[in-house]
Amino acid sequence: MSIELISANHAAALAATLAGRANQAARGFGSGIYPITPQTECIELLCRQEFEKGSVVRVESEHSAMAVCMGMALSGARTFTASSSNGLAFMAENVYATSFYRLPVVMMAVNRTLGPPWNIWVDHGDTLMLRDTGWMQFYCEDNQQVLDMILMAYRVAEDSRVLIPAMVCQDAFVLSHTMMQTDVPDQELVDRFLPPLDLPHRVSDVPVTVGGLDFPRETEAHRKQFADTLVGVPTVYEEHQSSFEEVFGRRPPDPVVTYQMEDAEIALVSMGTTASTVARAVDTARKAGVKVGSVRVHMYRPFPAQMLRDALSGCSRIGVLDRNISLGLGGVLWSESCFTAPSASLVQSYMIGLGGGDIRIEHIENVLADLSERTQAGEPQIVEVTQ
Amino acid sequence: MTMEIRLHGRGGQGGVTCAKILAAAYARLGKNVQTFGDYSGERSGAPVRAYTRVSDETITNRNKVVEPDHLVILDPSLLGTDTVQGLATGGTVLLNTVDSLEDFAGQFEAFRVAVVDATSIARSHGIGSRSLVIVNTSLAGAYARVHDISLDVLEQTYRTLGLASNFPAAKEAFEAVQIRPASNSSPVVEPAPAPGALPSETVEPITTHRSSLPTGLQTGSWSTQRPNYVQNLAPCNAWCPAGNDVVGFVQAVGTQDENAAAKILGATTPLAGVCGRVCPAPCMEGCNRVEYDGAVNIRGLERWIADASPVARTAVEPCESPKRVAIVGGGPAGLSAAYYLAATGHSPTLIDGEAELGGVLVTGIPVYRLPREALRREVEGILALGVETRLNTQLGPDEIASLPEEYDAAILATGLQKLRGLDAPGADLEGIEQGITFLHRANIEGAQKLSGHVVVLGGGNTAVDCARSALRAGAERVTIAYRRTREEMPAITEEIAEAVDEGVELALQRQPVGFQGEGRIQAVLLAEVDMGEPDESGRRRPVVSERTSALACDHVFLALGQSADTSLLPEGWELRDERLWQGGEALRVVAAGDLATGDGTVTHAIGSGRRAAGLALQAAGVDCTPFERPDRTLAVPATDVRFDHFERREAACDQLLDAPARVRSTDEVNCGMPSGEEATRCFSCGHCTQCDTCLVYCPEGIIHRAEVGYDVDYSYCKGCGVCVEECPRKAMEMRTA
Repeated sequence: MSIELISANHAAALAATLAGRANQAARGFGSGIYPITPQTECIELLCRQEFEKGSVVRVESEHSAMAVCMGMALSGARTFTASSSNGLAFMAENVYATSFYRLPVVMMAVNRTLGPPWNIWVDHGDTLMLRDTGWMQFYCEDNQQVLDMILMAYRVAEDSRVLIPAMVCQDAFVLSHTMMQTDVPDQELVDRFLPPLDLPHRVSDVPVTVGGLDFPRETEAHRKQFADTLVGVPTVYEEHQSSFEEVFGRRPPDPVVTYQMEDAEIALVSMGTTASTVARAVDTARKAGVKVGSVRVHMYRPFPAQMLRDALSGCSRIGVLDRNISLGLGGVLWSESCFTAPSASLVQSYMIGLGGGDIRIEHIENVLADLSERTQAGEPQIVEVTQ
Repeated sequence: MTMEIRLHGRGGQGGVTCAKILAAAYARLGKNVQTFGDYSGERSGAPVRAYTRVSDETITNRNKVVEPDHLVILDPSLLGTDTVQGLATGGTVLLNTVDSLEDFAGQFEAFRVAVVDATSIARSHGIGSRSLVIVNTSLAGAYARVHDISLDVLEQTYRTLGLASNFPAAKEAFEAVQIRPASNSSPVVEPAPAPGALPSETVEPITTHRSSLPTGLQTGSWSTQRPNYVQNLAPCNAWCPAGNDVVGFVQAVGTQDENAAAKILGATTPLAGVCGRVCPAPCMEGCNRVEYDGAVNIRGLERWIADASPVARTAVEPCESPKRVAIVGGGPAGLSAAYYLAATGHSPTLIDGEAELGGVLVTGIPVYRLPREALRREVEGILALGVETRLNTQLGPDEIASLPEEYDAAILATGLQKLRGLDAPGADLEGIEQGITFLHRANIEGAQKLSGHVVVLGGGNTAVDCARSALRAGAERVTIAYRRTREEMPAITEEIAEAVDEGVELALQRQPVGFQGEGRIQAVLLAEVDMGEPDESGRRRPVVSERTSALACDHVFLALGQSADTSLLPEGWELRDERLWQGGEALRVVAAGDLATGDGTVTHAIGSGRRAAGLALQAAGVDCTPFERPDRTLAVPATDVRFDHFERREAACDQLLDAPARVRSTDEVNCGMPSGEEATRCFSCGHCTQCDTCLVYCPEGIIHRAEVGYDVDYSYCKGCGVCVEECPRKAMEMRTA
């Protein structure tokens, strides 16, 4: 183990490398990559790594990058790619194909605003666009989580009860380019945590057809299989949280991370690094006697509805802070979490830090003040912040 | 307790790395750290910020730093009230600037101020890219001093980050930084602006269209460094002993014509046609194209110009008080001196013992290399400027002694007349002769008759000339015996190859140790030579072995070198530093050519003659600057030429007569090149050719063609350095704005 001062982009590349090498006894590592700001640093570092078994293939587009991963995964390799923003939009068709083929590909996605006009900063709209693909999605809060969650994602995705790809998301620049001390585990520990991938439907010497034609009846059955599998994911996830903790001595975050929620009457729900700032605002407000807590949705797909329902059960006022906008509706997290809130509660949508605005503690305090004064929920509201 | 540091720099200065160095140093001290940049414009030169947080606790805050404890400012032009906004009273402002603390008297008194000229330090340590200086690693050294981080910790940090080579600059900045404490009577500190909503009306609609480039943002104010068009010394110019503007005349062929090129040549040499034939061409050794696809055939171009357009000057510069200067020796040095003096309005007199001017060019160099018409044409051009001649006049020491009285000054250019012999048994046998004597006879008296096997001893141009002349005189077999390897032969490489083509044999690593025969030479005794350690000249020292063999022969020519014959000098005269002295007093007599320098080539003699003319005029009381050979170390190195901007193309070769045809005639072997096309291969090192690369690569589109060179619109130039980086020929450089 070594503590290194690295960006979350580099943390992701190192995690992918460690995971890839851990599959040496099986079919090795594979990756198709295409650069895009702010993900580029990650794949640049990945390209400089050496793999005894496997290769990193530089292709001409995101669509092909995912196609490479599909092919390699189908032959049993542990595969990785990374993208962001408009790159994800271009990749989308193959993002669906990968999950429908039930291939445990892991993708690191740096959340960046979609353009035009062009904007390179953080916004969760890009990966939320892919929320219905069947992929598991995790939204990280710090550099260490990015590294840990890539290892966790492989363990869960490759579990024979799951076999579903996973997306590990991180905020552009706020994590991707911010350097912090990060614990980079030894290969030996990663080998212990990640058993070699044994894909039951991998192609080998015997020719098989993959992804033929489905009539409505088969589609119903396949969708049900898929949906039922996702229902079981939280249980599998929890099991592997424990095995991760056994090997590395720290526990990956729960699907829903709560802070000061035991007696909270007001809850602020968010994803990614917004929650760090919310937690600090909570500390300040608690000192003033306000019973407020923070809820961070870490696992977004499958959606941890029951856990969220439990976390919010005692709250009368809930503010959902989205760093995205579903145009014509409001915040995506808000629209999905409304049904988990107690029926008598007031749930207000705030969209904050759109396009990468620097969310400061004062902004959260303004939101809290607004939420506390409300007698009823209003239209979803965009909170403007300065650069 | 969390400490927050904010850095202000410009895209390309390395602010983010600087912030990382600080974070890494604090991490080494056991702190939790976080560091990140703004990544705002992602444009070179744009103002950018970077941040470092240091804490004993886990850092969860990920906002930008709005109320920093300390500031680091990489570019002084960024210093202003908005820069120090939010800075805590008593906080430190570390500034990279050429200014000293006194220049900040009365300013920023609420803060501790530290200044260091990190840019100069980084530049002196050569830190940065090919075009730009990068200051971050130097400035971090100053930061360490200002914030009590030890040099030890800093050095370990640099090593861990792979920046060990930048540590000496950091250490220099550590030692150079000046610090002023905050004053107690602190004025009000600007608070950080409260977060608030952006006024929506200031945001432009997405559909805004512009018919031309936005001009409102004068990005020129962002630049710390600016591109400038410069002229750097081309290696060909630096290498040319005659001081010719080689890159100038080669470029003139390519861009204008042979007449323009001839004019440039004529400024420095009257013997371009001669040099274009017999010069060993040091310029081609120095040519940067050697490192790419072979030197430009400069010698061939010089000849092509001289044959196509007369090189000599026609106009004489007017002179208020013309000096009469005697020149003893009509060889290339004497001719060059006479040319320069006559062209500048003085009255030179050339005195020579032969019937024809040219010195060694007439007596030593065979006509198949230098046809006499080519030489005569140029000699006539020199004389036409107004040079008096006294031919068939061999001056003795007494006559030389009286020259300073008869003339305003005198130049001795008598060359190397003392011939080295060989002190070996049998050296006085008939049939052993100095090669120079043979060449003189062959050149002045015409066709010589030889037969049998001729052995030439030596490896210089005289040896090769003897060998090839011997073939033309009828020798059945010719062998050159030389004590070192072929690569080490001082003769011009092409001449050796031509000789071998003609059938001359080389007996290499062979030292003559004796001659055998009864009255007349029958064999030369050659000892095998082993190559030992390199000597002071860098060549391997020959070690003569005991292994000998006899080589049967009918003639032997000695070509073992020549030296100056100082017995020509009057009694009591002494030659020192190109000047003649008598009794500690400088005479109005200077030495030129081989007598002065012993360099032994025509081109050296031409440069030396021109220099001697200047020295002689100085001795005669004229205010002038004698020619000096340029400093080769200042020439543009090949590593500064962007080869990737040039297509690979082989050099154009001179056309040669076929060996069997030429060997029995005295026709000129080398027929030159059919055109001046070869000139377009010239890189034009250090000299702008208006190739437009800078214009094409400028990301801002603010370089424009001017009548001469280019104009850069500095009001928009951000100093990104791309033009300088891409300049194919090092004719641009960045300078501090």
